[in-house]
Amino acid sequence: MIAAGLPQRFKVGFDPNSQIFSLAGTIRPRSIDEIAESIHALREAIDAVRGVLYIDVKRLIQMNNTAFQAFIRVALDACRERSDLRLVIVTSSVVSWTTRMFRHLSTIEPQISVEVYDSMFYPGQDYFEDTSFIPILRAQTKLTWRHERTILPRHGMRPGIAVADICCGIGDFAVLAQKEFQPARIVALDHSKPSLAYARTVAAEFGVTGIEYTYGDASEMLLEDNQFDFVACRHSLQIFNQPELLLKELYRIVKPGGRVYITNEKNSHCLGEPRAQSIQWTYNELARLLSHFEMDVELGPKSRRYLADAGFDDILVESFMVTNLDGDPQDFADIIAGWEKMFAAMAARHGEAPEFIDRFRQGFRDHIFAALHPKGYAGWPIWAASGRKPL
Amino acid sequence: MGASVNKTTETAFEPLLQFDMEMEDFLSDWHHCDHVSSYLARMISHNRTDPVRHSNFFSSALNELLEVSFRGGTTDGKIGLSIYRQGATERVQLSFPCPPGQARFYREAVSKTRESDAQARYLDAISNDLAPSRESVLLDLAVNYDARLRLDEDAAPAITLIVDLPLEGEGMVS
Ligand SMILES: C[S@@+](CC[C@H](N)C(=O)[O-])C[C@H]1O[C@@H](n2cnc3c(N)ncnc32)[C@H](O)[C@@H]1O
Repeated sequence: MIAAGLPQRFKVGFDPNSQIFSLAGTIRPRSIDEIAESIHALREAIDAVRGVLYIDVKRLIQMNNTAFQAFIRVALDACRERSDLRLVIVTSSVVSWTTRMFRHLSTIEPQISVEVYDSMFYPGQDYFEDTSFIPILRAQTKLTWRHERTILPRHGMRPGIAVADICCGIGDFAVLAQKEFQPARIVALDHSKPSLAYARTVAAEFGVTGIEYTYGDASEMLLEDNQFDFVACRHSLQIFNQPELLLKELYRIVKPGGRVYITNEKNSHCLGEPRAQSIQWTYNELARLLSHFEMDVELGPKSRRYLADAGFDDILVESFMVTNLDGDPQDFADIIAGWEKMFAAMAARHGEAPEFIDRFRQGFRDHIFAALHPKGYAGWPIWAASGRKPL
Repeated sequence: MGASVNKTTETAFEPLLQFDMEMEDFLSDWHHCDHVSSYLARMISHNRTDPVRHSNFFSSALNELLEVSFRGGTTDGKIGLSIYRQGATERVQLSFPCPPGQARFYREAVSKTRESDAQARYLDAISNDLAPSRESVLLDLAVNYDARLRLDEDAAPAITLIVDLPLEGEGMVS
């Protein structure tokens, strides 16, 4: 029974072009009759395909045995009737019990295989899930927080609300937000197990309790619809090859009237004096390099369009510049040193010539030089934007 | 199993919460299973390592148990649910009144979950049956959740299912 106006808790879909049948959401029927339509849809999908049908259950949040058995009955019968048919069930590493339930099917029926979907969602992801990325995130948040703590209330952050930080990294933002704004609930999700482990250790060491760190895939979250007043996604839309997909999920979990807050960069606008030209060259090249990894680190100023296209209204966009004058210039220099290492490795993987990599690294070093120079100035511009989910 | 053995394990479990409801009310709406399992799962999971996934996992197991009591229970008396914790394990203790003679059915179903052919029975059930039996639901808990099940018949005609769920271990939720 679904109350009028509420979003449906269970969705089935079939894309004949990719031959993917998907089951998503929560389904706990009392009898098979309640899900007759969905069962029928699976049967039709099977009839429509030649060769392989993918059954995507990555976003299946809950399914009781009644539904499970009804769906697999169709799958098993179809395999018995058609020797040409192959079924590939795609589960998620996030929801371990669905993987355990569905994997039996490959034991029962050789025409069925089960794949656990994990990592490599987009090119270059492994760089961001590596432990060497941790100190960079730490230094970045330290400097951006000085700005964001005053910016956040304008974007809807306030005490007593339910907050989610999606792609939370090592969780520093969640800790700072919790201290400063005392939300009623705060969930912090990331797909890097090392980062989450680090986040939990830090929280425990500092006696911070109440942050719900969770392992998940931001593009297929286990979180239910309309749960949060404020959903942050910082520096992360820009590293996904399909930012729209992520925004769709952020939109889904925020309450009507709540806001999604995103921060992104425009890397080619990083600047410094002295040695402006070398710095500029490197950051232009950086944006180009990352585009080969399908990351758009020029996304910042496009935030307004992305939010509008995702269906948000009352969109606010502002920008701020993190600089060497924000605090200890060494903090700024540390960030850039981290970037140099990480991005030089990516350039090497992309097959850039050694001379290119030398020049590329030099720009970062010049940025550090500018940051630490007694009369120097170094900047890293960031766009903070938010939109409201219509009521 | 001796009573004293039960006592020692019982005391090591810390009570988390208790819930009861008139069976008549419980049976008036199928969605109670879903609502109660989701709500209680949220409540007990907040201090687990990964509260979101723990809650999802726990809710999934608890819902199956509630559905068993919904399908097999009678209207006279109460459904009682207690949740305990010991380390990585949550214990669910679920009591509900059922028709006379049913205790034997549950006794057998529970003991099958502990036999070495539990997995084979489960596979047989899911490959051939159109709808799950209560027996296969209990097998599902043993096979897919590593649950250990016991039955307590002290309060006949009500029965009590005691189910230990080691959800945090083995990388299930970590
Ligand atoms: C550039 S970092 C930003 C981290 C954090 N928001 C911050 O500002 O410090 C991007 C983060 O996205 C995470 N990530 C990458 N793919 C993800 C996915 N599919 N689901 C959830 N998180 C993901 C990475 O592990 C990484 O922590």
